[in-house]
Amino acid sequence: MIELQDVGVRFASRQVLDGVRLDVARGARLGIIGPAASGKSVLIKVIAGLVAPSSGRLIIDGTDVTGLTEERLAPVRARIGMLFQNYALYDFLTVEGNVGFPLVRRGEPADQVAQRVRDRLRAVGLAGSEHKLPSQLSGGMKKRVGIARATIAAPELVLYDEPTAGLDPVTTSKMYDLLRADHEQSGATAIAVSSDVAALIGFVDTVIFLYQGRAHYQGPAATVADAPDPVVRQFVRGALDGPLVG
Amino acid sequence: MIGERAINAVGTRAVAVSREIGGITILFAQILRALLPPRLDGRELVKNLHKMGNRSVPIVALTAFFTGGLMVVQAAPFVQRLQATSLAGWAAGYAVLREVGPILIALMFSGRVGANNTAELGTMTVTEQLDGLRALAIDPIRYLIVPRVVAMMVMLVCLTCIGDLIALAGAMLVAKGVLDIEFGIMYASFVENLSPADFLHGIYKSIAFGLSIAVTSCYFGVTVRGGAVGVGRAVNAAVVAAAVSIMLLDFFLTYLNV
Repeated sequence: MIELQDVGVRFASRQVLDGVRLDVARGARLGIIGPAASGKSVLIKVIAGLVAPSSGRLIIDGTDVTGLTEERLAPVRARIGMLFQNYALYDFLTVEGNVGFPLVRRGEPADQVAQRVRDRLRAVGLAGSEHKLPSQLSGGMKKRVGIARATIAAPELVLYDEPTAGLDPVTTSKMYDLLRADHEQSGATAIAVSSDVAALIGFVDTVIFLYQGRAHYQGPAATVADAPDPVVRQFVRGALDGPLVG
Repeated sequence: MIGERAINAVGTRAVAVSREIGGITILFAQILRALLPPRLDGRELVKNLHKMGNRSVPIVALTAFFTGGLMVVQAAPFVQRLQATSLAGWAAGYAVLREVGPILIALMFSGRVGANNTAELGTMTVTEQLDGLRALAIDPIRYLIVPRVVAMMVMLVCLTCIGDLIALAGAMLVAKGVLDIEFGIMYASFVENLSPADFLHGIYKSIAFGLSIAVTSCYFGVTVRGGAVGVGRAVNAAVVAAAVSIMLLDFFLTYLNV
């Protein structure tokens, strides 16, 4: 479904991503891991079409979408749902308004939008929060509203940028249970960025490890702790000694 | 060594200013493009008209009232010395309608609405809300920026009209209180000495000021970097840029209209 061919991203003099290759099949679940500032969030934004690669190509369902204009990217984006690291909930809308926003913008009838919003909020455990504003929600609730918004239009691909950052371990487990149940039901492709490797590995099938903008490991999530690259092993095991430059 | 450093500093600043001007020009072109054909989000437009216009009326009214009064106070010694009470209305009205009214109202508007707009867009930028719109295939320029620009232009013109009226009323009241000039004399002075062109001159300016406040405040909002601190810096930059552009536009529009 998604193919990245030697993708590089450069911001001014800084090379954020360098020669990243990736192949994600339809329905697969991929985890992107790596130390801070390794390019994880930039990679997920490249896949969402929010950051244009400086080199290489992004191919979605056989179509090269690299360098497309915002207008021509619109139909591609309509098939993608995204949860942002900082939630990206619209301050000026209630929970109901935020979750229903993608459907309202597509011109769906108000009664159908309301029904789907109610269903979605019940699914993420936020029934009864329809009329609250984002400022009245806890971090975990905001993440769940973000997930509800990202998935309400039944996208083929869902991107999660740090779905559990800042959450306690119990809420983190609940969050991944929610994502797992959601994806088992929808069959959508999932790509998740997370610094919480242990929790993420239980959700994804394969992982890509980024370090200084380059992919150091790409393979099954189950065996990442035994990866041949000592940098990957050190990071996944959380060891203090090793070649990883903090 | 010191000279080299000074040249470096001037050069760096010049490049930074050129980059900002270039960015503002590109945003302006994107706004124009988004207006062709004009497809405005009605709900966003109405919300912004109310927020930016209605809520600015009290502060504009206060500013305008005292501006009108101040023009009479400044003119009072000459009016009394020359016994030219019939010209007091002209002096106050001419200055208010053509210069002081549009400028002061625009500066108040920039401080209240422009700064708030930059802070709002800046917060949306650092919390990824603009990326959130793009991810939903919604163009932030068309959805967020264009309604704000239109609302600011329309509302600054409306506020200038209201402000002009209140300033003239303020001038009449202060003239009565300070110089004991009858309302009828002031009214006659306005009617006989001021023309619609004086009023329109101020309105043309307020259209230009509104556009400049809108584009600069939106530009600094959507280009924020560096979290909450960056938002503060952007608000500061937007207010300074708007004030400078108001003064430059005022000079050139006055020069071209004389």
